Amino acid sequence: MSDVKVTLFITCIVDMFQADVGKATVEVLERLGCDIDFPMGQVCCGQPAYNSGYVEESKDAMKKMIATFEHAEVVVTPSGSCATMFKEYQHIFHDDPIWRPRAEKLASKTYELTEFIVNVLKVENVGAKLSGVATYHPSCHMTRLLGVKDAPMTLLHNVEGLQFEPLPNAHNCCGFGGTFSVKMGNISEQMVDEKVDSAEQTKADFLIGADGGCLMNIGGRIERRGKPIRVMHIAEVLNSR
Amino acid sequence: MIHHRDAFLNNVAKQLGRSRNTTVKPERNWQFRPQDKTLTNKTPDELMTIFRDQCRLIHTELIETTGEKLADVLEATVNLYGGGPISLWDDPRYTEFGLASLIDETWPSRRVDVHKWDAEQGKENIARAEQANVGITFSDMTLAESGTVVLFSSTGKGRTVSLLPKQYIAIIPKSTIVPRMTQAAQEISRRVQAGETIPSCINFVTGPSNSADIEMNLVVGVHGPVKAAYIVVEDR
Amino acid sequence: MAMKIGEGKFKDNVNKNMEDTFMRGAVAGAQERLRTRRLDAAEELGNWEEWRSHGEEIRQHVLNNLDYYLHELTENIQKRGGHVFFAETADEANAYVREVVNSKNGKKILKAKSMVTEEIGLNQMLEEEGCEVIETDLGEYILQLDEHDPPSHIVTPALHKNKEQIRDVFTEKLDYKLTEKPEELALHAREKLRQEFLTADIGITGCNFAIAESGSVGLVTNEGNAGLVTDLPKTQITVMGMERIVPTFEEFEVLVGLLTRSAVGQKLTSYITALTGPRMDGEADGPEEFHLVIVDNGRSGILGTEFQSVLQCIRCAACINVCPVYRHIGGHSYNSIYPGPIGAVLTPLLGGYDDFKDLPYASTLCAACTDACPVKIPLHELLHKHRQVIVEREGRAPISEKLAMKAFGLGAASNPMYAAGSKMASAMMKPFTKNDRISSGPGPLKAWTEIREFPAPNKERFRDWFKEHEKGGGGQ
Repeated sequence: MSDVKVTLFITCIVDMFQADVGKATVEVLERLGCDIDFPMGQVCCGQPAYNSGYVEESKDAMKKMIATFEHAEVVVTPSGSCATMFKEYQHIFHDDPIWRPRAEKLASKTYELTEFIVNVLKVENVGAKLSGVATYHPSCHMTRLLGVKDAPMTLLHNVEGLQFEPLPNAHNCCGFGGTFSVKMGNISEQMVDEKVDSAEQTKADFLIGADGGCLMNIGGRIERRGKPIRVMHIAEVLNSR
Repeated sequence: MIHHRDAFLNNVAKQLGRSRNTTVKPERNWQFRPQDKTLTNKTPDELMTIFRDQCRLIHTELIETTGEKLADVLEATVNLYGGGPISLWDDPRYTEFGLASLIDETWPSRRVDVHKWDAEQGKENIARAEQANVGITFSDMTLAESGTVVLFSSTGKGRTVSLLPKQYIAIIPKSTIVPRMTQAAQEISRRVQAGETIPSCINFVTGPSNSADIEMNLVVGVHGPVKAAYIVVEDR
Repeated sequence: MAMKIGEGKFKDNVNKNMEDTFMRGAVAGAQERLRTRRLDAAEELGNWEEWRSHGEEIRQHVLNNLDYYLHELTENIQKRGGHVFFAETADEANAYVREVVNSKNGKKILKAKSMVTEEIGLNQMLEEEGCEVIETDLGEYILQLDEHDPPSHIVTPALHKNKEQIRDVFTEKLDYKLTEKPEELALHAREKLRQEFLTADIGITGCNFAIAESGSVGLVTNEGNAGLVTDLPKTQITVMGMERIVPTFEEFEVLVGLLTRSAVGQKLTSYITALTGPRMDGEADGPEEFHLVIVDNGRSGILGTEFQSVLQCIRCAACINVCPVYRHIGGHSYNSIYPGPIGAVLTPLLGGYDDFKDLPYASTLCAACTDACPVKIPLHELLHKHRQVIVEREGRAPISEKLAMKAFGLGAASNPMYAAGSKMASAMMKPFTKNDRISSGPGPLKAWTEIREFPAPNKERFRDWFKEHEKGGGGQ
C-alpha cells in the first residue's frame, strides 16, 4: 500500500462527543498505510447555523475551514453529512470570486471515509472482525446528496463474523436534521422511534451508521428506551479486530 | 373572447425580467430525448407481447383474432358480458371489418338493442349510451406499452360510447399498434403543425375505470365501465 | 375552503394529528406502497434520470417562456370557439366563474378533482350563490359529504379516512345500507353520481397540462369522472394555474408519463383526455360552451425569484409519498391544501409567512423529496432558502435563536473560542452527567433530553488524544 497523506476533518461531534470514532478512523487509515495530518485549526463546518437559515453567520466558519484545509492533498472525514457540507461551500460562495475557487478545490479533494477507502485506496476488505448480527442505517445526506451508497456496504460485508439484516424502511430519515431534533422535537421523537422499532425488528446486536449526528439521535433514543442494541459508527466496526 | 390577457402577460414578462414576447417562437433545444430510445427498436411481434402483458396489469381481457372470425368473437364477447343493449359508433370500419351483418341483421333479429351513434338524434345518443350494457368502438391508435386505445371523437364517434356503458369493448386493428404514447403524440402534433383541425376530444383509454381512494384498495369500475375487453384483429 | 384549511397553530395541529393512529398507519402504508410502485415504474421505463432531466428542461423552458405559450394557447382556444379569462387573483377567477354560471342559469354543478379550485375557494363561492356543487372524484366526494373535510393529500385526498368512517358518512348522508367494503361503497357512489352527471348544468375541471400548439386542455384521471364532467353538461369551465402548460403534444406525453408513474406507478392512468374547444358542429356530446380560466393568484410573484423552480411542479405527490415528516403528521397538520414538502415550499409563497412560517422548518432536509421529484425541483434546497429568507430578509427568527446563532458564528469560526468552548464542555456538563450520559440537560439540551439521552462531552477530546498519538509516532 502506498503512503497516502490524508488530512483528517474529524467533525465537531466526533471531536467533542465521539472521540472513540475519531481514534478508530485514525487507526483504520494508518493501518491502510495513510499518513494522518490533523490541522488543529479546524472548527465546525457551519452546518447547524447554515441549515437553520443563518447563512451569513455560518460563512466565517466555512472560510476558516477552507483556509485550514487548503494545504491538504486529500481531506477525509468520518461523516457523510459533513463531507456533503464541504462540497456545498462552492455553491454557497458561488458569487464570491475569491472564495469560490478555493471552495471548489476543497470540494474536489474531500472524501467520506468509506468512499475514500473503497474508491481511492481501492480496498474492499480492511481485515476487520466483529461477530454478531448487524443492521445499517444509510444516512440521508450521505446517500442522497453525497451519493455514497455502496462503499459502506462493501466494507461491512467483508467484516469477518458480521451477519447482516436489512433495516426496514431504511430510506426514511431518523429524525435528526440538526436543529430539527429540538425545534420540532415532537415530530423528531416519532421519527426516531420508528427507526428504533425498525432496528429492533431486525433483532440486530449492532446498528451501524456513518454519521455522528444520526447515531447520536438514534443511540440517545435507544438508551432512553433501554433497548439492547449497540450503536456503532462504521469506523469503529472497521477498526474491530 | 379573451379577457385581461395583455395586462396579465405583461406582468408575467416583467417578473421574468424582460419585455413581453408573443411573436417569436421559443427554440426548444432539448438536451434529453429519452423517448427516442424507449421501445423504438421493437418488432411488431415484440410490441404485441408487451401489449399482451400490459393488458393483464390493467384488468382488461385481451382477445386476438383474424378478420374472418372477428364477428363471431365480438358476438361471443358481447354475450359473455350479458348481451345488449349495445352502443356503437357510426364508423365505416364496422363494415370494413365485416361486422355489418352482425350489427344490422343478426343482433336485431335476436332482439338485441343496438344503437348506432347518430348526430341527428342529439341527446338521445347519450341516453342510449347510458342505458347500454356494452359500448363498442374501434381504436384509432393503440399504445403497446400502456395498453391504451386512443379514441378520436367526431360527429359519428361520440365520446360517451366508451365511458357510459356498463362494459366496454375496443376493436383494435393490429396496424394501429404503436410502441407508446410518444408515437401518438408525435402524430397528433404533426397534424396540428400541418394545420389540420384535431378532434375536440382525444381520449387515451387504458382499461376499465378504477379508483384507490378508499384505503388504497383498488376498486375496478367507478364512473366509467366496470369491465373492458380488447379484441385485436389482423388487418384485412 | 381556500388554500388555508384551519386556524390552529402548526405545533398544535401536529400534536393533535399525531394522536390519530389510523391516519398514521394509513399514511405509512400508502407511502410504502406508492414509493415502491413509483420505483418499479421508473425501473421498468428505464433511463429514469434522463426522463427526469427532460421533464425538468421542459418545465424550465415553459416557465421562462410563459408569456409566449399562454398567448399561443389562448389564441388557439379562441380559434376553436372557446372563451378565456385571465385572473390575477382568486376573487377575479371566482367572479368570472360566477358570471358564466349565472348567465347559464346554472344550478347543478359537477366538478372533477382540482387543486387550483380548492386554492381559490371556488366551491364555497358557488354554494353561496345557491348552486349545488358536487365533487365527482370518489375521494373528494367522500370529503364533501363529510361536511367538507379538507383533503390531506393532493392525489388521494381522503387518505386519512378509513372505510368504516366512510361507511358511516354514506349511511348518514346517502341512506346507504351496505357494508364498509370499498367495492360496495364505490358502487353506491357510482349510482348516486351517475344521476347527477345526467342532470348537471355545468361541469368544472382543473387542468393537468394545457397544450399550447392546439389550444387543448389535458385531464388525467383513473375514475373517468373528468370525462363525464366534460362530456355531459352543456357548459364546461376549466380552471388552470397559469404555469400548467406545455408547448406541444410531445411534451404533454413526457410529462403525463412522469406524472402517472410518479403519482401512482401506472404507465398511464385509465383516462387521459385532451379536450380542444367546445363540441364541433354535428357532435352530440361534449360541451356547447367552453371557458378557460387562467389563474395567477400569487404565482407570478414567484417567477424570476430564487423560488421559481417550485412552479415546475406537476402535482404528482411523489415528494409527499416519501416525506418522513408527512408520514407522522399527516396532511392536515400543514394547514394548507398543499401538504408535504411541496406544500411547505409553495404554501408560504402563495399564502405568506404570517400564517405559514413554521412549514419550512417541518423538514430534516433529508432530501428524499428532491430525490423523488420527477421534474427535479430541488425541494430541500427551497425549504432551506425559505429559512434563510425568514432569518435574513424577514427577520422573523426568535431573538434567542438569533443570539445563539450569532454566538455560533463567532465560536465556530474562531479557533481559540472553539478550542476553549469544546474543552470546557466536559467540565460544564459534569453536574448533569451520569454514567457518561445526560438525561436531563440545561438550556438548549432540554428539548433534546426530553426525548433522548445526550452523550457527555469527552473528557479527552479527539484533538487532545491525537496530539498524544502523534507524539507517540502514530502509525503501527
